Amino acid sequence: MSEIYDIGYRHYDGPRLGRGHSTRALAVHSLRGIFGLGRTARSKIMPFSLFVIMLLPAVVSIAMMALAQQRGLPYSGFAVIMQAVVAVFLASQAPTVVAPDLRYRVLPLYLSRPVSIAEYVGAKVAAMTVALFLLVAVPLVLIYVGELVVDMPGPPATGEFLGSLLMALVLALLLSSFGLALASFTPRRGLGVASVILVYLLASASVPVIYETLRSAGDESAAAWAWLANPFWLVDSVQSWLFGTPPHSIEGAYPNGPASAAILVVLLGIAVLALALRYRKAASR
Amino acid sequence: MNTVVAGITYRALLGRRRIILLLLLPLALLGLAVLLRVFGGDDQRSAVLLMQNFAINTVLPLLGLIAGTGVIAPEIDDGTIIHLMSKPISRPVIARTKFLVAVSLLVVFAAVPTYVSAWLLVSNEDGIAPGFAVGVLVAGIAYAAVFLLLGVVTRHAVTIGIIYALVWEGVVGTFIPGARKFSIQQWGQSVADQISDSAFLRTDVALGFAVPALIIVTLGCVFWAGLRLRAFSLTGDE
Repeated sequence: MSEIYDIGYRHYDGPRLGRGHSTRALAVHSLRGIFGLGRTARSKIMPFSLFVIMLLPAVVSIAMMALAQQRGLPYSGFAVIMQAVVAVFLASQAPTVVAPDLRYRVLPLYLSRPVSIAEYVGAKVAAMTVALFLLVAVPLVLIYVGELVVDMPGPPATGEFLGSLLMALVLALLLSSFGLALASFTPRRGLGVASVILVYLLASASVPVIYETLRSAGDESAAAWAWLANPFWLVDSVQSWLFGTPPHSIEGAYPNGPASAAILVVLLGIAVLALALRYRKAASR
Repeated sequence: MNTVVAGITYRALLGRRRIILLLLLPLALLGLAVLLRVFGGDDQRSAVLLMQNFAINTVLPLLGLIAGTGVIAPEIDDGTIIHLMSKPISRPVIARTKFLVAVSLLVVFAAVPTYVSAWLLVSNEDGIAPGFAVGVLVAGIAYAAVFLLLGVVTRHAVTIGIIYALVWEGVVGTFIPGARKFSIQQWGQSVADQISDSAFLRTDVALGFAVPALIIVTLGCVFWAGLRLRAFSLTGDE
């Protein structure tokens, strides 16, 4: 008699992998989602076309080295020059990481497993950071490999290359924590995209106007601080302080010294705090 | 025009925190104008620079994008548009109503702040302030229509809109002069140039091309958006 109630549920008696594995699985899942892997073809179009756009200058740069024996883009200036593409990538993909979970209120489901809020947010930020780092670092590595293969006259710029890789990681961390914090304030994807790009454009479009105004007022040293309002120039100024690379601002130099690094750390702290506050509230609903 | 649809759309765009998104840009524009005024940059050259590089180049496309896609895209995104479409209201009327809502928002959040910030710098000299206000208004109407259509056609409306406004109008327009002919911002500047007679404002597109282009793009996009809504299929979430 009793077997009609036995509908075949089986106990799980495989290995229990623990929290580290669940966090890692969440991060990998988010990273795949950013590039649209495992989703429809339509959601792959945007990330991959932006990725290809990022690769184009690298190809042109290698071609210039091979044909004209001339360096194209400097490693240290790559992220600043391509900043619009990176910003569009961040804006279009950051909401796909955070918005669906918020909209369908599945956060309590995640938290019913041994994943804490800190691990959930950490996994999401890590995934976005890795995606942005790949976006900037893959073309850089490509240019460097091209430089080695072409065998340019003089020693290869290994120091500048490694420095720019490290700064790409810092930039990715700053952008992803800020982008996710902004995107997580709305459960709607379109609004998330708009708010991220809005903050970036406000920061970047107002900078030359402020710089010009302060400089024409004769305050050259105060004008230099205006560049730090844009995250790309902020990271570039830290790079030029750490590695002595030339500044890649439109004109003029950055304020010297570790102040820009301090601003960077403070901004990172603000973004992480905003994420923590947002998710503490989202998890309690 | 349907007042109930308009009311729902206003509430969706202005309710809760979303109004911050619309307020941020005009406030930044006014803030920059005040900054210029304080630091003595209140001459015609810097006024025209601020208007061209910030008001028309950054604030207007972004506001057009937020207002134009915001009136319809979020509803399509979360599927609540089905409640609107299942009512006995003609679909082109829905599209027209939402377009008018977007235009009214652009008047309040783009044209008026543009006038005020230009007036702060040069008051009414040479018609710079009214010129740019009207230019922003007509370009804003065209942007609202284009981005409304984009919001109906694709789910990546905001991203594609950003790429159009940043890459096409910004980068391509700078390097390939011919591309400027097909840029809404340039058409708006032509209208501004017609009204203002400041020597610092120079435009590339003739008014005889800009005005018909603005009218055709606006009417065509609103009409097409209505057509698209008539045979609309709700696809599942990605």
